[in-house]
Amino acid sequence: MATDLATGPAAGPAVSGPVPAGQRVPRPRRRAQTWQHRLMVSPLILTVLVLGAYPLVFIVGASLTESTLGNPFQEWAGLASAREVVASSDVTDALARGAGYAVGVAALSTVLGVVLALALSGLRRGGGLARGLLLLPLMTPPVVVAIVWRLVFNPAGGLLATLLGAVGYEGQAVAVLSSPGLALLGVAIADTWQWTPLVMLLVYAGLLGLDREVLEAAALDGAHGLRLVRHVVLPSVAGVVLAAFFVRLVLAFKVYDLVAVMTAGGPGQSTTVPSYLIHQAALQQFDLDRAAVITLLLAVVVTVVTVPVALLTRKVER
Amino acid sequence: MTSTLSTRPAPAPPVLARPAVGPPVRTRPVLRTGARRRRPRLLAPVVVVLGVVLAVVPLLYLFSVSLMGRNELVAGVLVPSDLRWSNWGDAVVGTTLTQAVLNSVLAAVGGALLSLALALPGAWALSRRGTGGRTLLATVMSPWLLPPIVAVVPLLTLLRILGLTNSLLGLTLVYGLVNLPVAVWLLQAFLHRIPGEIDEAAQLDGAGPLRVLTSIVLPLAGPSLVAVGLIVTLLGYSEFLLASFLTQDAASQTLPVHLSLLLGERVAEYGKIAAAAMVGILPVLVIALTLQRRLVEGLTAGAVK
Repeated sequence: MATDLATGPAAGPAVSGPVPAGQRVPRPRRRAQTWQHRLMVSPLILTVLVLGAYPLVFIVGASLTESTLGNPFQEWAGLASAREVVASSDVTDALARGAGYAVGVAALSTVLGVVLALALSGLRRGGGLARGLLLLPLMTPPVVVAIVWRLVFNPAGGLLATLLGAVGYEGQAVAVLSSPGLALLGVAIADTWQWTPLVMLLVYAGLLGLDREVLEAAALDGAHGLRLVRHVVLPSVAGVVLAAFFVRLVLAFKVYDLVAVMTAGGPGQSTTVPSYLIHQAALQQFDLDRAAVITLLLAVVVTVVTVPVALLTRKVER
Repeated sequence: MTSTLSTRPAPAPPVLARPAVGPPVRTRPVLRTGARRRRPRLLAPVVVVLGVVLAVVPLLYLFSVSLMGRNELVAGVLVPSDLRWSNWGDAVVGTTLTQAVLNSVLAAVGGALLSLALALPGAWALSRRGTGGRTLLATVMSPWLLPPIVAVVPLLTLLRILGLTNSLLGLTLVYGLVNLPVAVWLLQAFLHRIPGEIDEAAQLDGAGPLRVLTSIVLPLAGPSLVAVGLIVTLLGYSEFLLASFLTQDAASQTLPVHLSLLLGERVAEYGKIAAAAMVGILPVLVIALTLQRRLVEGLTAGAVK
């Protein structure tokens, strides 16, 4: 957890906004003011302690001891469970699956989101209504998203099966969520459906902030259509796009609800992402030290995957 | 620049003069620029319509299934001929659905108010004084970067010690805390836009930080509080992972937990489940469409300078 500290501000370009005005007031502060400021910041410190420091200590403790859900920290076990977990292919497979899933889903959402944002900004009218409708998936609770896509993928009369039938497909019904090769793709489609609107919105906001004069100058120089987009527009919103990709990556690592409701990790282990594996270990097998080790490994994987994106985002924004 | 453009005749199509480089050049600007040409541009509307269809059709299908009987569902009917509103009755009457929706609303709104109350002073201090500065902001955001499953067992243990499991109060407190980093992040982006001179002037007049916060910043931040409040409310309303561990008895179950249990029943009645899901998302859809502007403001607060 602590390793992530440095990456926070790169998440959004807002940090490079105006410098806090307070910094140029060298007036001596009264002691009461300082205390009032500390009071204001104290809830933030409390949050960091409860959500960051405490879970970290708890998990490191649990990973080094014999621990069950009901009875953590029984006796010192050292690295025994860590060795066991690292050697287990279930865990390494799940971590690799989770990382691949996150990168894939984030990339897909970002590409689709950028295309939609560009299209939306090119509309002459109807943009407001279209934007409102495009935001609906984002507002839908993930459990409902999971229900929707279970219905769509239902091999017995679901939307997908019906549409395939309508275009003349007559083979065996495609059971997306119960076939090991397709189930994760099914979850990814639902995930992409839900979060692409956020990427679209962030990029769209970036496009609205573009300097019109630059665009007009480029247009006068003969850059039009896709050329204008590729050589002028996209480079100027690259920072926003990367930041959106970063946010999307973080969100994709969090996927749990969709898996829990759509596939429960199956068939076999084909959709067991790390969050779901931790859930199984801790709350179905009550094996807390195993869950704790997987959690630490997941934290490392998330950090290793997201930090380069965060650094790149920061670099592009400069 | 704009005035120059308006006095000048539309520029001759430079496409003709340019040697052919790469793929055939499109003359349609995808973005609207001053030098646009009066030609029908189809690409953008087509893409948007396609996107809207993909976004809306699955939800319409959910609505459609909520009015179907089992036979129609299996037969691959897309729009039921005989509307079975009884599914909606079955979903609501004699079940804990309304209780679950109410629980979700209470935990989400309570949690959002708590997040805002704690986030506003902190975000203001961060955006103005540099108290702890960026390091603190980054530190506050860091728990958000990891999947929430990481904190579930420690939080569950903590709440058990405090006697707050299976209670809406416990869940509300957790939501207030868990969404606080998001609220701080979005709010400080808003607060940066309030000119520093305003609160400096108040301080010169003798107002202390708390006074400045309540009399100056709070009124100015009103709209952004609504925007950020909406987002954290929606986050709380949708939350499943924590709710499924912290609220297991029927009295404190939230909507996502209720829906997941319906799916787990031995014979899953899809019509009824779809109807329950529709009942659960109606409030959200109404909010999304009526308060769209505020939502968009909040969602993009961190992204635009």
